[in-house]
Amino acid sequence: MQTRGSSAALSLRGLSKAYGSTLAVDRLDLDVPRGSFFGLVGPNGAGKTTTLSMATGLLRPDAGTAHVLGHDVWSDTVRAKQLVGVLPDGLRLFDRLTGLQLISYSGLLRGMDRTVVTERAHELMEALGLAEATGTLVVDYSAGMTKKISLACALIHAPRLLVLDEPFEAVDPISATTIRQILEGYAASGGTVILSSHVMDLVQRLCDRVAIVAAGQIRAEGTLDEVRSGMTLEERFVDLVGGQTDVGEGLAWLRSSSD
Amino acid sequence: MVALIVGLKWQLLRNGLRRSTPQLVGLIIAVLYGLGVLVAALSGLVALRFSLPSDVARTAITLGGSAVVLGWTILPIIAYGIDQTLDPARFATFAVPRRQLVLGLLLSSLVGVPAAVTAILGLATVITWSRSLLAMAIAPVAAVVAVFTCVALSRVTSAASFAMSRRRRGKEALLLLMLLLSLGFGAATSSVMKQVSSPGLLQHLADVLGWTPLGLAWAVPADFADGAIGSGLLRLALALVFLVAALLVWDVLLRGALENPRATDGGGSANGNKGLGWFGRMPATPTGAVAARSIIAWRRDPRYVASVVLMLLLPLGLLLPAFTGSGNVWTLAMAPAAGFMLGWSTHNDIAYDGTAFWGHVATGVSGRADRVGRLVPTALTASVLLPIYAAISCALTDRWSAWPALFGMGLGFLLTGFGVASVMSVLKPYPVPGPGENPFGAPPGSSALTMVIQAVAGTAVFVVNLPLLVVGMGALFGRVWMGWLCLGLAIVFGSGTLAIGTRWGARIYERRAPELLADLSRIR
Repeated sequence: MQTRGSSAALSLRGLSKAYGSTLAVDRLDLDVPRGSFFGLVGPNGAGKTTTLSMATGLLRPDAGTAHVLGHDVWSDTVRAKQLVGVLPDGLRLFDRLTGLQLISYSGLLRGMDRTVVTERAHELMEALGLAEATGTLVVDYSAGMTKKISLACALIHAPRLLVLDEPFEAVDPISATTIRQILEGYAASGGTVILSSHVMDLVQRLCDRVAIVAAGQIRAEGTLDEVRSGMTLEERFVDLVGGQTDVGEGLAWLRSSSD
Repeated sequence: MVALIVGLKWQLLRNGLRRSTPQLVGLIIAVLYGLGVLVAALSGLVALRFSLPSDVARTAITLGGSAVVLGWTILPIIAYGIDQTLDPARFATFAVPRRQLVLGLLLSSLVGVPAAVTAILGLATVITWSRSLLAMAIAPVAAVVAVFTCVALSRVTSAASFAMSRRRRGKEALLLLMLLLSLGFGAATSSVMKQVSSPGLLQHLADVLGWTPLGLAWAVPADFADGAIGSGLLRLALALVFLVAALLVWDVLLRGALENPRATDGGGSANGNKGLGWFGRMPATPTGAVAARSIIAWRRDPRYVASVVLMLLLPLGLLLPAFTGSGNVWTLAMAPAAGFMLGWSTHNDIAYDGTAFWGHVATGVSGRADRVGRLVPTALTASVLLPIYAAISCALTDRWSAWPALFGMGLGFLLTGFGVASVMSVLKPYPVPGPGENPFGAPPGSSALTMVIQAVAGTAVFVVNLPLLVVGMGALFGRVWMGWLCLGLAIVFGSGTLAIGTRWGARIYERRAPELLADLSRIR
């Protein structure tokens, strides 16, 4: 059902990054086929954010390459960045701008025409349910609104690849539904989405391909059904990543029934 | 609990050093500087022990001690680099009893270089007073009271300025206060300098200060040495009362911070700005967009507003001597000073973006657009201010022939400042308060690094401008044609430096944008 092209939308080879003596990403290889809706899942500190930052030109890798639709992110930088829309996690926004100004800024920085930018910005805010908030400063936005405005910034130049780091974190169910619908529409029209998340249920529902990352490496990758191999994604995830899930008899003092 | 909070401060200090070399360098510089001050002051205190009339010791210690207390009190308002390591608001979620929190924060303030220096100096007064057994016995007690007063007062002012700066109106009031303080400081020092030859005045001043909260504790041992035990005890009692009062005030302010930890007005409404605002007025290019974004930040971001107001008003301080009748030569410096400050001020611009800078990295905006666009608000401001400041100087000194030289020097400083800053700001951004944080605070341990970078940028601008200054001075000493030469040189030379600086800066930007982003996430 996917429209896969010959080359991948995003292709990472031997990507590595160390912080001091900690290896955050360890010779990671990954191919995200064109037109796929790709979920990157992994425990905290697995290297998801580091990987996505290196794939989008925000963080220089120690070794390895990243290609977006055949363009090297670290040598053919400008072309590669034109094709990608990014929603990073844990970075600030220019939040003294109004919502409309912030979206327009993303477009104008990319050298787009002002009328096109304004038109699209209004459409995006309408679609994301932010029409009431065009004139509000982004600093006064709620967490969900901030995620949505970030998404709008990533979409304004009609990228071919969307890289979203935790797009659903701290987002209420209504906003989440809006974001999901927009992303599904985008993917259905041939765009490629790669997103990272902790929420297995959501990834299971949204994505057609999944990769499980742990300790800076890909542990499993493939279509959703290949990866979960008969289990739920969550079971498979815990199975692969390991770690303790049964708290057993500890923490007895926490149970108030004893008094 | 108290021990825990003090331990936390110590731990924070140590971990901060482990995290980055610049901070370590900063601490080393601070320690060396502190040691220098300490050695000088200590030898002074020992020398006072052997100076004959005990009046000299009384005057010196009361004056010096009052200055120290005053310094601790106003530094949190004027200086950007004051310690907010243990921001009270961060304790809001823990149910620490407030009394213990006050005590813990107070004691934790004693961990650090300035407090250590103050404490050592205070205790060293024991040596000075060893001429009298009674005085020697009371000196350590008085010193402890004095040191705690220092710390308590600095906490009160920083809490008060923080509380004020959270509201827009309070922010404006605070800026005005800072301005008055700096102007008053200048006036006071200049008049003191004039009177310094008459020791009678100093003694009189010491007598007065000795009965104010600033000098109460410091004057106690002097009374004991003179046998005036009653007056000494009275001073000590008053000093203690004042200390307790300061702590109570702080306690009240702290309650505000704890119960309402995140109250910021967030810039309020967008001034009814429904459309694109400056994005609609600037050319629709990446450079225009960067410029528009900078202008909006200048108008809405308290951190910019604070430094802009300060920058615009400080040159006005040069008018002061003209009004106090001590000559109007300094008023001639207004335009050059404003040009210097405005040009130089852009040297850390990227740091104010914080991690929001990713927007520039992700869109792959060109280095030239980033470099040039950021200069636009400053350039617009300067294009209005410099000619006016130069004209004010001319009007006050009645020397209109000096205008081209004054404007020329200002313009030269501005443009070369832009050139230097365009390179500096992509080399090494240094920490600034984050958006929405206290515009008068600074991340701990950063102040020494900040000063080094500021000094380097300032010196570079000054050195590059030396030839221009020589010509400009020539014009001021009567050669009118040199004024026009100065202006011409400023235009040619200044735009040359600007062109080279922005091009060079743009090249560095394009090479290092991701590293800059990494720097910015580290210092936040």
